[in-house]
Amino acid sequence: MKLGIAAKLALLLAAVGVLASGLTGLYAYRTSRQLLVDSAQERLLTSTQVLARRITLSQQEIARNLEVLSRLPGAVAVLQRSDASQAAQLATLFQRLMSANPSYFQIRLISANEHGLERVRVDRRGDVPVEVLGDDLQEKGHYPYVAETLRLRAGQYYLSEIAVNHERGTYAGLDQPALQLATPVTDGLGNAIGVVVINVDLNGMFALLAADLPANFKLFLANDDGDILIHPDPTRTFGFDRGRRILIDEEFPLTRELVQGKREHVVFNASDRAHGLEPVVAAFIGQQVDVPSGERRLVLGLAQPLAEVIAQTDRLGVTILQIVLGLCLACVVLAAVLARAFTRPINAMSAAVQRFAGGQPSGDLPVERKDEIGALARSFQQMHLQINQNLSQLQNNQQALEHMALHDVLTGLPNRRLFVSQLEKSMIHARRYGGDISVLFIDLDDFKDINDRFGHDTGDLVLKAVAQRLLAMMREGDTVGRIGGDEFVVLLGAPTPHPQLIAVAEKMLSGIRMPIDVFGVEMTVGASIGISRYPQDGHSVSELLATADNAMYAVKADGSGGFRFASPPTV
Amino acid sequence: MSLHTNRRQFFFGALATTAPGWARAAGDTLRVLAWPGYADADIARTFEQRHGGKVEVTTIDTDLDLWNKISANGAHDFDVFAVNTAELQRYIHKGLVVGVATDAVPNLARQRPRFRDLRSIPGVVHDDVVYAIPYTYSEMGLIYDRRQVPAAPESIAALWDERYRGKVIAYNGGTHNFSLAAMSLGLKSPFILDKRDWPRAVDRLISLRRNASGFYTRPDESVSLFRHRRAALMFANFGQQQVQLCKAAGLDVGYALPREGALAWLDCWVITRSARNPRLATAWINYMLEREPGQVLVSRQGLSNTTSAEPDDTAKDTLRWLQPVESEERRNQLWSRIVSGDRARKVMAS
Repeated sequence: MKLGIAAKLALLLAAVGVLASGLTGLYAYRTSRQLLVDSAQERLLTSTQVLARRITLSQQEIARNLEVLSRLPGAVAVLQRSDASQAAQLATLFQRLMSANPSYFQIRLISANEHGLERVRVDRRGDVPVEVLGDDLQEKGHYPYVAETLRLRAGQYYLSEIAVNHERGTYAGLDQPALQLATPVTDGLGNAIGVVVINVDLNGMFALLAADLPANFKLFLANDDGDILIHPDPTRTFGFDRGRRILIDEEFPLTRELVQGKREHVVFNASDRAHGLEPVVAAFIGQQVDVPSGERRLVLGLAQPLAEVIAQTDRLGVTILQIVLGLCLACVVLAAVLARAFTRPINAMSAAVQRFAGGQPSGDLPVERKDEIGALARSFQQMHLQINQNLSQLQNNQQALEHMALHDVLTGLPNRRLFVSQLEKSMIHARRYGGDISVLFIDLDDFKDINDRFGHDTGDLVLKAVAQRLLAMMREGDTVGRIGGDEFVVLLGAPTPHPQLIAVAEKMLSGIRMPIDVFGVEMTVGASIGISRYPQDGHSVSELLATADNAMYAVKADGSGGFRFASPPTV
Repeated sequence: MSLHTNRRQFFFGALATTAPGWARAAGDTLRVLAWPGYADADIARTFEQRHGGKVEVTTIDTDLDLWNKISANGAHDFDVFAVNTAELQRYIHKGLVVGVATDAVPNLARQRPRFRDLRSIPGVVHDDVVYAIPYTYSEMGLIYDRRQVPAAPESIAALWDERYRGKVIAYNGGTHNFSLAAMSLGLKSPFILDKRDWPRAVDRLISLRRNASGFYTRPDESVSLFRHRRAALMFANFGQQQVQLCKAAGLDVGYALPREGALAWLDCWVITRSARNPRLATAWINYMLEREPGQVLVSRQGLSNTTSAEPDDTAKDTLRWLQPVESEERRNQLWSRIVSGDRARKVMAS
């Protein structure tokens, strides 16, 4: 297919426009997608930090409760004197505290003596805090939360490892992930005589802390060795408790430096399907444990499904696509309009040139434009005018030449050539439609004398005067011509009866004979006329002229002047 | 079982050797199932070069894993595997393993005397049929802090010594602890407690708890406990491995095997009833007793082999090869009570 400039230009412009808007759209999409992911990571990191702060606050709140309990005079009384009524009061207090804090599994007052025998103990059974008594009280001296806490000063507290609680008898907390916070109870001398321990439900506590996080956020917690403690998939938690460690840095390798304490936080996209986890955006932070503890460091993380983050991009993508398509359409339309605007004047010029070449008026040209096309139109118009002028001059010259070729220069009468041509036409007409033609051959008498006596200028003036008089006497359809020095011929095209022909000849003779004023001198000149008629005197031009000439010579020879017919009149 | 689980898990960190999978082997392919480090690629290659066959090694990491893999298909998937003497009994009972032609294992002569007399090792010989060839072992001795305990403890009773109160670290596991209590009480068998023995054993373990500063389950945990609590004495459930970890942690420790005897596990090679080429399987066992595989066990795994000369003067040490106990369930249930802090009345009432 052959494409015109307009189509090519439109295609080019449209392609450039579509490409530009497409690339812009793509870039905008990718950039905004990255921005979304970045901002999701940022948001997750902030959420994680907020969560970590909440953990610290929650831990401090537990520590405050512990401190209040450890400073109760009743606690010392129970530990030193086994005061039963004080023990009962403490148990009631513990029960109230546990009712107020659903994430507490257990609160205990444990003696430093008797191998760490529990003195007051309240367990949670279902939702109810229940006091444990008698033989059900246990010796806990070998547990770190007793052994380590007894080494602390008053006011300090101990945070245990986070582990699955296998201590028989902690009813709701049995085989549940838990941590213990404990603080020493001191006597008047500052000696640790026992400890108060709060056993906290890890999942319960985190459920509370993370309650207002969006539902799709996934929470992760790992200890300082990287063992996973909280995971969306519960089977991946506390692997070490089942003899097979499951580490957070195996699931998310980027958390390794966090576990090792080399970094404070990491944010990343993870798409490891090996663990059956959908691709996520994740933020992890390392949280130093600043109190005496079985854990030096905790790794806390939040993850959000990447698909959700990207879903926002998809909406954005649709919008961008719409904009891009709109822009493309606009580009195509604009390209078409531009191409048309650009090529229309060119087409107009082209049409003008074609018309000009065809000899027609070139029509309107965009000469008023100020641009290159306007300049081209103006140049073209100027050229057009120039050519027209030259042409008309040429035509004039040609007409003059043609006139000169067919007319006598002196008198302006048709010369022999034109006269013969006219005579031929008249004869053809007469031959076809009938009718007759008369030719009058007029020769001036003694004209040579005038030339000789008065000069050629005078002769010329006489000839002109004769020509004027002959012309004045002609009817429509008649022709008078000069075919020699003093020879004139007259063609009477319309049928002329004989008597009228005689009258015409006589009228001519008398007209010629009238005096001619030349520079104040009156001249008179006579004439001899030979008359031939078609068809009786000849069937061709030369025959007619010859017979008329002969008749004229017969008059001259006669010397009488006047006129003579080549043949006697028939009618 | 928990013993093995843990023991394997923590040997010098990661010991994962690649297992070439389960692909069914050709006729002269020997299909070996073993613990990581028992049949490393270079060891297997030497055997391949010598015997022309191909060795396919699959590794397991728990006793349960081992049992599942062997019993799943009636032992049809493997020719030879390694198992401890206590675990071995159920494989024999189910008829999954067959006797080993000891005549075809000339390297038996390279073994130390205590391993050469197979009848002296409980559970290896049944009805004059030798089912297993000892390969590697680890005993559970006592680790002590040389500064606090100037002389190596001679008896298990040291764990109960009042002088070390609050300075003893023990293992958190019912099966071995009851065996330990039984040995300290001088009972006839540490593995089979009769009715009258239970209350005494429980009391003994409660005393141990009261003397102890803490209980561990993992080797690394034991070392940090030992150091943090400035302990004097520790029952080394993981044996030499813990000794090495303690030394690596900069602790000045000694290691002693008590005169009552030390509990020890002993892994042996056995041949499945479905072995396609028993001759090749026997050749493998013979090869395992050569110097090179034995050296690799020591150097790469920190385990003891059965062929090297006795280190020091330990030939007289009594090793109590692990045997199936009367009831793991009962031992663990009672132990969970004891370790939770219950007193004798409560423990025995459960």
